[in-house]
Amino acid sequence: MAQSNRRAAGGRIDRNRPVRFTFNGKSFEGFEGDTLASALLANGVRVTARSFKYHRPRGIMGHGPEEPATLVELDGEDASGNCPVTTVPLRDGLSARSVNCWPSPDFDLGGINQLFARFIPAGFYYKTFKWPNWHLFEPSIRKAAGLAAAPSAPPAQGHFEARNAHADVLIAGAGPAGLQAALDAGRAGKRVFLADEGTEAGGSLLSRNLTVGGRAAMDWVADTVAELSKMENVIHLQNATVWAYREHNLMIVNERAPDQNSILERSWRVRADEVVIATGATERALVFGDNDRPGVMLASSVQAYVNRWGVTPGKHAVLFTNNNSVYEVAVDMIAAGIAVEAILDSRNEVPQAALDLVSGVTVHTGTVIGGVRGRKSVRGVRAVPKTGGSGVWIDCELLACSGGWSPTVHLWSQSRSTLRFDDDLAAFCPDQPKQACRAVGAAAGNLTLDQIIEGGEDLSYGIEPMWRVDVSGQRGKAFLDVQNDVAVSDVHLALREGYDNVEHVKRYTTGGMGIDQGKTGNINIIGTVAMQKGLPLQEVGTTTFRSPYTPVSFGAIGGLRENWGLFPYRHTPVTQWNKDNGAVMYEAGARWRRPGYFPKAGEGLQEAVNRECQAVRTGVGVYDGSPLGTFELKGRDVPRFLDFIYSNIMSSLKPGDGRYGLMLSEDGLILDDGVAFRLDENRWLISTSTGHADAVNQHMEKLLQTEFPDWQVMITTVTSQWNNATICGPKAREVLQAVGSDIDLAPEAFPFMSFREGTVAGFPARVVRVSFTGELSYEVNVAPRHMAALWDKVMEVGAPFGILPVGSESSHVLRVEKGFLSLGHEVDGTVDAYDLGMGWAMSNKKPDYLGKRSVELRRSGGGTRRELVGILADDPNRQIPEGAPLTPGGRKEATDGLVTACVWSVVHNRWVGLALLEDGHARQGETAHVRLKDDVIPVTVTKPVFHDPEGKLLRS
Amino acid sequence: MSYDVTIERCGLMALFDLKGAPDAVSKWAGDALPSLPYRPNSRTEKDSIELFYIGRDHWITRAPLAQENAMEARLMPTDCPADISIVRVSDTMTFFRIVGPDAGQVMSIACPMDLHDSVFGTDAVSYTEVFGLKALVMRCQDGIEFAVEQSFADMVEDYLIRATA
Repeated sequence: MAQSNRRAAGGRIDRNRPVRFTFNGKSFEGFEGDTLASALLANGVRVTARSFKYHRPRGIMGHGPEEPATLVELDGEDASGNCPVTTVPLRDGLSARSVNCWPSPDFDLGGINQLFARFIPAGFYYKTFKWPNWHLFEPSIRKAAGLAAAPSAPPAQGHFEARNAHADVLIAGAGPAGLQAALDAGRAGKRVFLADEGTEAGGSLLSRNLTVGGRAAMDWVADTVAELSKMENVIHLQNATVWAYREHNLMIVNERAPDQNSILERSWRVRADEVVIATGATERALVFGDNDRPGVMLASSVQAYVNRWGVTPGKHAVLFTNNNSVYEVAVDMIAAGIAVEAILDSRNEVPQAALDLVSGVTVHTGTVIGGVRGRKSVRGVRAVPKTGGSGVWIDCELLACSGGWSPTVHLWSQSRSTLRFDDDLAAFCPDQPKQACRAVGAAAGNLTLDQIIEGGEDLSYGIEPMWRVDVSGQRGKAFLDVQNDVAVSDVHLALREGYDNVEHVKRYTTGGMGIDQGKTGNINIIGTVAMQKGLPLQEVGTTTFRSPYTPVSFGAIGGLRENWGLFPYRHTPVTQWNKDNGAVMYEAGARWRRPGYFPKAGEGLQEAVNRECQAVRTGVGVYDGSPLGTFELKGRDVPRFLDFIYSNIMSSLKPGDGRYGLMLSEDGLILDDGVAFRLDENRWLISTSTGHADAVNQHMEKLLQTEFPDWQVMITTVTSQWNNATICGPKAREVLQAVGSDIDLAPEAFPFMSFREGTVAGFPARVVRVSFTGELSYEVNVAPRHMAALWDKVMEVGAPFGILPVGSESSHVLRVEKGFLSLGHEVDGTVDAYDLGMGWAMSNKKPDYLGKRSVELRRSGGGTRRELVGILADDPNRQIPEGAPLTPGGRKEATDGLVTACVWSVVHNRWVGLALLEDGHARQGETAHVRLKDDVIPVTVTKPVFHDPEGKLLRS
Repeated sequence: MSYDVTIERCGLMALFDLKGAPDAVSKWAGDALPSLPYRPNSRTEKDSIELFYIGRDHWITRAPLAQENAMEARLMPTDCPADISIVRVSDTMTFFRIVGPDAGQVMSIACPMDLHDSVFGTDAVSYTEVFGLKALVMRCQDGIEFAVEQSFADMVEDYLIRATA
């Protein structure tokens, strides 16, 4: 019968709105307002999952994020793995499956593990699967014990959002204490951010029949929510979990169902002056043999299903407790028509007020459970005196347990605030705050309503802790952590093997890990360790509470940053032209996307690169050099500042002239290379490599602010104020003349390494004669507003000269042919200028500059250096992989170098390479050997220049 | 659009970066600029020219693009004394305006700074982050205005479209 366990009336569900869903392929019906768990229970589904390791049948134990037993995988548009069944809102068309079982939880082939359970205790993986390699076994073990897979496709529609918020007070939890705190703060005019994980405000009041000042407690909730909704200074979110407490009161909130349809989930990063932790308390499980059987549930969850969702999880029930809270549960169960066969109370005495609530029900005091009958569903329990004895069997299909309550201190602990063990409550409670936060309500250890709000009426708590049933004759595994299949015997084993710190016990057994993070079982693990070691719980302590408090979608954390937006990206005015003209775009450092090469139809990378290089070597090419870092420096002390940060002298430059230079770091290694031009007496322009522009800027500012605060140097970044089209090749001058400029381009009037201002194509321009290709080259800088027009003009008038756009692949080839260094290739964080054959850039005239002392110290120590050389394979058609090692004789020995670059030279019509080789400068003409995995390539060591070694072309 | 906002990617504006001792800058600029804002994260305005406090001895002035040449003529960046720096940076920043009832919500997606009007007033201006990028943020009529380095403008526009889809 459909919904056979649904009560005829009651519950906070909409019975006028039936909802159809499937679970493990079977169709069911529930109501709007149900969770998947409540709907399954309403339909009498008992076995909903299999356990992680032993594949034991499991049912639903909880009703919220504490649920340890049943995780589900959602299909279709809800696709998501490992969701606690109790946190999945029911909606029409929902499709869910159990995890950890095949083909179904009712008949699971993995259940065979139960036969070997005694041979696979905690830690057996690590002891057993050591040889030959853990990774050999890991995939199949993970598959056998694995949880659901991540969805294979992105959501069909909608997107995730992450946003920021600020508040005077953030309140986590909209139960009675949280609502009261929000009301107080809101009335005081504070900016309040109230977030609660439930779909409705009220917390525990949603499940209980309590009163406030003689009225139903939910009426008080409704009034409070209504008042808050009228306050403009209050943000109130439901279905939004505060899942992380970071430094400086930064709280992370996951809002699972924002009111905008296009937004799947929203992540809030809230910075609050004060945090109020009103997260309530979590009921604990009780530990006895076979305490994981379907039908064993938390008492408060039974109450929630009965009252909130109108579901009776069983017809005949036994309750097992060590505190007063189940007596109120029993009242509600009886009212719902559940036959309460008995209450087993481990305490020797029960307060009369509690007994009065359940007159007519058999209460066995000083009694515990010594056994459970039934495998796929509870059929009965054996009630035994806690002092021992044979006991009696009581038939039931539902066992509601309460091991007491633990304040939900996860956020408190995440804030690094301290905990203390409260003997009266038998629980860890908030102690000293380490950030601006306070706990209120049950989270602070105030476990009854009368302690939380004025007029609240509740039964006293009255716990006598019991960390596990300890009577003889028990059968079956007694689970401490149901989700991870960690039993009492596993903790005992860990302790026997010396893992006696609670953190070690956690890692040895995996107790307290996983989706539920041990919400119902951690305290029992600690108690078991305490019992075994004879220590008070305070001395055993807790493990570290880590975020997230409940599972969070990666999408919600990422927000907009997915697919194309994962990393920032930058454009120049020519980016679109490049794309329109077929460029293959590359990340080029500092988040710039530049063209790699421009293939024609049917052309591969190498053919395209050869064509582009040929154009530059024999005709003319042009590339967009805008991303190069550019800075204007102003001030009287700029000359001596540049002399300090560059290894060569810059202060001697005359206005209009420039010089190539190296910047060293304090340890004498190469930080960057670039050129510096003197614009006038006090104004300078320097350029840096694209990828290091920001780092060089920081480097300069740091020096000025820490080392030379009294120097007058003012730096302005102008990378994006001046874009450049670099025209290069033997015909560059002709093309630039055709473009049109009022600058005298004659070699003697505008020589290499000089700077001129004027107009180009009618635009204000700064033209610089530098060359990264080894050819005649003009870097034409114009404002970005003019760049696209300049580019079009260059391409138009360059067409008769055969001009081609050049990508970064060709730039790489051209610079290797010329032996120009590249950061990240030849400059690898180990070499200095001398190693690169650039000792000429290390000034002997300056008394000091950054890195000088380090270089001298390092080199005065002697020793072998890796030096830049050219390499030519005997076979000209043999390409050598970049990064390949060079070893003596090609033998399997310590390397004496590596290949930094290898390109097809259009000048020599063969592969040429650069390498860093020990004592390389002295080994020119010798044969070295590149060692590959299956081969050795003999190479001739040469000078690291393959084209125009005298530099006549670039100076032409 | 899921938010009630209007997003405008603004055209170029005249921008000049100014550095130096306040007295020296004021003396050189004369009445070409509003009075210097001395309070951090604030701005001053005179006619259509604004002056933003960027840091100690550092300001950016903004004016309509049509005034760019006139401002350059008055500020004379290439002729100013050695102890101050004036650089035209009009092309380095792209401004966006987010206006409308939900402007605050959209900005909360983009920016971690508290832009509540009780904290970030009408004369406030500050460098902070927008979509993880360095950005200059200020109030404008009915919303917020911010500028990012112009090479990131396409990306920011893509993000805003995505955020408000």
